[in-house]
Amino acid sequence: MRRANAISGFVLAAIAILALLVVIPWQIENGPAGMMSPRLVPQLMMGAVLVLSVLLVLTNLEPAGRDDPPPFSREELRALALISGVFAVSITLYLTIGALAFGSVLVAGTLVVLGERRPLIVAGMPVALMLLLWVLFYKILGTAIL
Amino acid sequence: MEYLLIAIQDVFTGPSLFWVAGGVLLGYILGAIPGLGKATGVAVSIPLTFYLDPVSALGLLIGIAKGSGAGSAVSAILLNTPGEPSSAPTALDGYPLARQGKAQKTLKMGLFASVIGDFVSTVVLILLAAPLARYALLIGPVELCAILVFSLTFIGGLSGGSMIKGLIAACFGIFFATVGMETETFVPRLTFGFLQLDDGISLVPMAIGMLAVAEMIVQAGNLRELDAQTERMKDSDNPDDRRITGPEWRRCAPVIARGSLIGTIVGILPGLGASVGSFLSYGATKRASKTPEKFGTGMIEGVAASESADNAVVPSSLIPLFALGIPGSVIAAILIAAFILHGLTPGPRMFTEQPRLVADLYIAMLSASLIMLALGYAGQRIFAMIIRVPLRLIIPGVLLFCCVGAYMETSSVFSIYIMLAFTLIGFLSRKLDFSFVTFLIGFVVAPKLELSFRQSLQLLNHDWANLVKHPIAIAFFLAAIATVLAVARKEARQSVGTIDTKREELS
Repeated sequence: MRRANAISGFVLAAIAILALLVVIPWQIENGPAGMMSPRLVPQLMMGAVLVLSVLLVLTNLEPAGRDDPPPFSREELRALALISGVFAVSITLYLTIGALAFGSVLVAGTLVVLGERRPLIVAGMPVALMLLLWVLFYKILGTAIL
Repeated sequence: MEYLLIAIQDVFTGPSLFWVAGGVLLGYILGAIPGLGKATGVAVSIPLTFYLDPVSALGLLIGIAKGSGAGSAVSAILLNTPGEPSSAPTALDGYPLARQGKAQKTLKMGLFASVIGDFVSTVVLILLAAPLARYALLIGPVELCAILVFSLTFIGGLSGGSMIKGLIAACFGIFFATVGMETETFVPRLTFGFLQLDDGISLVPMAIGMLAVAEMIVQAGNLRELDAQTERMKDSDNPDDRRITGPEWRRCAPVIARGSLIGTIVGILPGLGASVGSFLSYGATKRASKTPEKFGTGMIEGVAASESADNAVVPSSLIPLFALGIPGSVIAAILIAAFILHGLTPGPRMFTEQPRLVADLYIAMLSASLIMLALGYAGQRIFAMIIRVPLRLIIPGVLLFCCVGAYMETSSVFSIYIMLAFTLIGFLSRKLDFSFVTFLIGFVVAPKLELSFRQSLQLLNHDWANLVKHPIAIAFFLAAIATVLAVARKEARQSVGTIDTKREELS
């Protein structure tokens, strides 16, 4: 974790510098005279992040041991990529077709990428969950959500 | 007292009790589903109360708030996914206990601790709301700013393995809370031209992304191992693993008492919230324990500490609302709208203008605590059945509910984009051990912190020497400094110890 701490410290320090020098001046006006600047709190926070990130780097400069495990496993990164892909497809379908397609593909797609292969489950679970949502919101709570 | 007796008659003879029970049941179910917490449940249910009498309506909403507080422990214990951020410490020990085949015991302890904390806090609300109005006025902006700084420092130092990382997370939480229109100058901040960001980043999609969706992705990455554990994870054959034994009750009784007290005090202090309460209680119990190193591996005291404080926060957070008309929490803020809708304007005058309605509300709240115990206990076997379902079948449903929860906040797909952005941040913060809880608490208290900071500057006339006129604030600032020094010293010692061990290994 020491190597990961040092790298994340570098990255966060870079983000803080970028925010202080570019993003905050670009995205926040100075505000009227005589009032506390709207930039003050964001600048204070990014200043604090910069100082703390430098401290994080300095306290983790000791070389990492051989048994220092990487923070991410290959399976976790794979799951992140696959589920992100399912979300991307689902949102595209929401924008082009509608909410029903979004929900169905999100559930069925996630089931498939997680290794479920039984057709009854892959086809039946989206239907069951969408029906459950409809009963919960439209019948029990009486509130339209779309 | 006269009004309380009339209130018992009002609540127990009319339809109110049915609606209170319905609220508790609904809240329990919503709380158990990750991402659909009390705030979402109460907000969604307000339109349902239009056609109910005031006591039934307010009883239903209070029931949802209380039920979801207890229900959120179910997913924390069984899925390692807190239903709400305030149940995060419950998962630390609750999940390992469930994995050891002690799910029923853990759920029972979570329920009992929740009910006791909630009941004690409700009694404190009844006893303190009116008299406290005079004393609560002593907490001005300077004191509030100091209390918030202390809370963030304390939680930043406590949660996660590194104080520096905890404080970085808190700073980022506050930074993201500044997105949107600044309330005094109306200058848009960090909106990048998106009109949806003018009102700021909404807490619900952010919290759902960071907590629920990120956790689902981490669990998806460890699916094989977790499914294998689920197959092995059965209720133990030992009857003592399914019930709370006498020695466990004796160990947990003082923990629940302390958690109830901490939760009640945190609830009274405006702006801190249930997460602060549950983490403070968990930390205090860990420090008081003779075996602090065992926390996080399955200590039933951890569950008792967290749940008692978590549920004690909700009723006592209504004290500033009832006494001063100021919401002390997100749920109190949402409830203001419902109270006004049903003719009860929160504030000191409601005790003299509508004493019967206030008494009805108190009795409905006490009833909700007892109903929560009955429903929670009766439904425990059903909730415990979740652990037998493989994770690959749970994750898609949770993701769908998360999307619905995020979408409902603004009825816009933009909320889902926000949820996904914070999913990535939550995933990274989990893996790199940056406390996402500190981040979220920083985000929640940031508007109050900024406002109180701004007011403090004006009150102190931009001269910090004037702080001597605010001894309570000085005490909290000193406590914050002491916390930083104490935690830094402890971490430095640990770091030196680790380096020495490595050198010994190399030599």
